[in-house]
Amino acid sequence: MHLLAYLDPGSGSMILQILAGGAAAVAVTAKLYWNRVLKFLRIKKDDETAEPQTTDSA
Amino acid sequence: MQSPTETSPRADGSRHEPGSFRDPESRVFYSGDGIYRALSQDGLDDFKALQATKLFERFTADGRLVGTELLASTDGLPAELLVKDCAGVLQHERIPFVSYPYEWTFSMLKDAALLQLDLNLAALEEDMILKDSTPYNVQFKGSKPVFVDIGSFERLREGEPWTGYRQFCMLYLYPLMLQAVKGVEFHPWLRGSINGITPSQMRGVCSFRDRFRKGFYLNVFLHAKLEAKHADRGKEVKSEVKKAGFKKELIVANVRRMRKTIESLTWDPPQGVWVAYGERNSYSDVDAERKDEFVREVVTSQPWGLTWDIGANNGRYSRIAAEGSKSVLAVDADQGPVELLYRTLRDEGDEQILTLTMNLADPTPNLGWRGLERKDMAGRGKPDLVLALALIHHIAIAANVPVAEFVSWLASLDTALVIEFPTREDPMVKKLLGPKRDGLHTDYERVNFERVLAGAFDVERRERSQSGTRLLYFARPKGTGAPIDLTQPEG
Repeated sequence: MHLLAYLDPGSGSMILQILAGGAAAVAVTAKLYWNRVLKFLRIKKDDETAEPQTTDSA
Repeated sequence: MQSPTETSPRADGSRHEPGSFRDPESRVFYSGDGIYRALSQDGLDDFKALQATKLFERFTADGRLVGTELLASTDGLPAELLVKDCAGVLQHERIPFVSYPYEWTFSMLKDAALLQLDLNLAALEEDMILKDSTPYNVQFKGSKPVFVDIGSFERLREGEPWTGYRQFCMLYLYPLMLQAVKGVEFHPWLRGSINGITPSQMRGVCSFRDRFRKGFYLNVFLHAKLEAKHADRGKEVKSEVKKAGFKKELIVANVRRMRKTIESLTWDPPQGVWVAYGERNSYSDVDAERKDEFVREVVTSQPWGLTWDIGANNGRYSRIAAEGSKSVLAVDADQGPVELLYRTLRDEGDEQILTLTMNLADPTPNLGWRGLERKDMAGRGKPDLVLALALIHHIAIAANVPVAEFVSWLASLDTALVIEFPTREDPMVKKLLGPKRDGLHTDYERVNFERVLAGAFDVERRERSQSGTRLLYFARPKGTGAPIDLTQPEG
């Protein structure tokens, strides 16, 4: 995400745009959920862009 | 973020626009007669990219984009008003009078929304995008919407969504839906919150049936649900969305869909307003003509800059005022006739008369951060001439504002004035006094009014209607005119 974007796009609003994009959205939606499935099955790990885990778990 | 309190004017009148501080890439300021925008390096790069587009040329040429040029040098501009590491300064064309969405009629907000979307579609074609979607970036030149925030254009970055979608819903889509579908005027909602209506708030006012209406399920119901579900997953969602590959086609599809939804929203004033729009109340034709003539003589007696027609109704006198004024503000508390006037002016392509809806007894206040971001009417530019025709009885009797108080407010504007006083015998005044207890509004009486008026203004002219129940006055600020003696009978 561009660091200088000063407006919060809203997480729900971003997902909605993917779901609402009609034909243009089919592939993206499929990929979004496929990535979630892979992540759930632990086939794919979060890539290095993800935040490092903190150790101070409550 | 700079504080708007850094805006105290310098001796030469140069100052920051206090409403322009949220975007760190560009900041608006005034100096002399000019209006300028200081840009950071990123902001300047974005502007240069915009300048090279076809859309910049096309939309500037037809006046939908505010006239803008990049200054070759910043010499002579006050250095302390430029942004930190200022890379360039733009000069903008001036809009005669700044207005806010809670003063616009339904069609004005809708037209601004369509302009915003059309600009975004044109920008996307050339790999740019509008980074926000606020109606405060649109102003009206007469009946013509003009996009004024050049700093909103930026280069499209691969994988990013339409950042302004949520803001578009909150400040354009939901207010229009509210009025079109629910019959609830959006003005108090937008005036009540500078950020607009949130998805969950909008969801709250919708019924089960509404989810089957065009655009409601996705933009309201699902939007509110997803927002609640993903509220704390900001970072995760961003990375998910990016990995899934957010394509430009997706944004284009969403903007196009939104355009269709906005197009489908309509609102019409109640039937009675349409009927009254072509008519005039409680006047004989002779009196109507004399009133036209009185206003016309004042308006054409000298060139006027900005004229306010307060209580403008169907805009008859705004149009006469336009014959001798650079620009005219037609304000009325009733949205219906103002909406119809806007539509007529829009069809005519008028760029001189700005229609606004506002109740003078409950006027636009100073709003936003420190109460400086949005200003009251006089704070945005005082008029040179005020028309207050068929208004004082509504203010004094219906809204309970004492006559002296109203005249004192008019005097505080420090401008020339055409005012009409319907006497207690006037049918409309009788109607307004009808439901009131006897003995109220004793100050609403001709001799008292004239005494108050002569105390605050130099009254130069007075004329009584043939029916005898209406009087017209032309006055200048105290000490600038040649007053007549109002205690003598009118000639």
